[in-house]
Amino acid sequence: MDATIGWWDDFFWAGLEVIQVFFVAMVGTVALGLMGAAAKLSKSRTAQKIASGYTIFFRGTPEILVLFIIYYGSAITLTSIFQFFDPTIKFVDIPPFWAGSFGISLIVGAYATETFRGAFLGVDPGLIEASRALGISNLKTFFYVRVPEMWRLALPPFGNHMLSVIKDTALISIIGLDELLFVAEQGMGATAKPFPFFFAVGGIYLAFSTVITLTAMMLEKRANRHLEGSR
Amino acid sequence: MSIDIALTLESIPKMLMGIGVTFQLLFITLGLGTALAIVLLLMRISGRWYLSVPSMVYIYVFRGTPILVQVFIIYHGLPGLEFVRESIFWPILRDPFGCAVVALTLNTGAYVSEILRGGVLGVERGLLEAGSALGLSVRQRFIYITTPIAVRLATPAYSNDVISLMKSTALVSTITVVDMTGIARTIVAETYAPYEIFLSLAIVYLIITWGIQKSFGAFERRMSRHVKQETAA
Repeated sequence: MDATIGWWDDFFWAGLEVIQVFFVAMVGTVALGLMGAAAKLSKSRTAQKIASGYTIFFRGTPEILVLFIIYYGSAITLTSIFQFFDPTIKFVDIPPFWAGSFGISLIVGAYATETFRGAFLGVDPGLIEASRALGISNLKTFFYVRVPEMWRLALPPFGNHMLSVIKDTALISIIGLDELLFVAEQGMGATAKPFPFFFAVGGIYLAFSTVITLTAMMLEKRANRHLEGSR
Repeated sequence: MSIDIALTLESIPKMLMGIGVTFQLLFITLGLGTALAIVLLLMRISGRWYLSVPSMVYIYVFRGTPILVQVFIIYHGLPGLEFVRESIFWPILRDPFGCAVVALTLNTGAYVSEILRGGVLGVERGLLEAGSALGLSVRQRFIYITTPIAVRLATPAYSNDVISLMKSTALVSTITVVDMTGIARTIVAETYAPYEIFLSLAIVYLIITWGIQKSFGAFERRMSRHVKQETAA
């Protein structure tokens, strides 16, 4: 591992980059998952169709292809728009950070849609009827009754979605974000000793997933704390 | 900004030239990976710590790191080590396709092993007790009771894993294997038409996904033909 000495600050900043992508993509995943589940469970057929098209596309297409479409596609669209105003501009792109975070959100959001949909269906309808009987508005019922109840059921698969997000961050190096794999590739180029660098990246990712697994376990315990002793 | 239909129609057959590589990777790694998964599963449930602990560590490591990192460690990392270059595995690891097979096999083995374990744990205890009451040995119970039921229980999760393995094969284009994605990247680099090429390739992958889902659906119905169909699912 001697070869990686002197590279630890690069690994540190790249690790921070990965953590940032993780949090941004997590917010997007939850938002898209909730919207997708709401659309799938809504009465509108159009919304149902759009949501199922969304999940079919993003669950059946390789992740790397989604990132390519978003990054290169947006780059060519933006470039042609900017060239319309100023022909001297050569290349405009969405920063890989945002293109990548958005892409990961879309992919894992499609899986989260299915998870949330199943969990919403698992909420006892009596609870919703009760809140309607109490005169609570639909919006409040959604956020104070359905979401907290659904959350408990969705947590175990949701932990896996968090792991998917952190592992998918590795793909963003392909569209040019200076994250961990990118640093390892540079290290390989500079020292001609690739193994220690990629091994270190694997170790860092393993540490991330360990933290996420433990967090998921804690969240699950917390979500079920009112049930302790009742079993 | 307009979609170039002629270019799209011209590129699809070119990309389909790589479908053989995609399918080869899928079937070879699926076979080897499932075999590896069974070995890992047997180690895991053997009840002997010197077998179950290594299997648990293996699964933890391979499920806890991104597959792209595993691909890069095997493709870029291993050839840098002296003893790997002198080992008998060198002819496989020298070839990008061989590296891709090794990486995807090791990865999918870990995932499938957990899926199979879920199936084995889902087998009702009463059935095993009935088996032992009938005088079946541990081995007979595993082969004739646990295995058929576990296979049926694990099939839905297994089909999802086959789909994610199929999607992972697209990553081998990063280590110079010329699969469909690799060809698409070359075409995009030449024509600079990402929408046409990548979206039509996405549709090809969607069709493959659909095919995998349909075949597993048929398999599942066959495996559960003794169970009464309660609801049209």
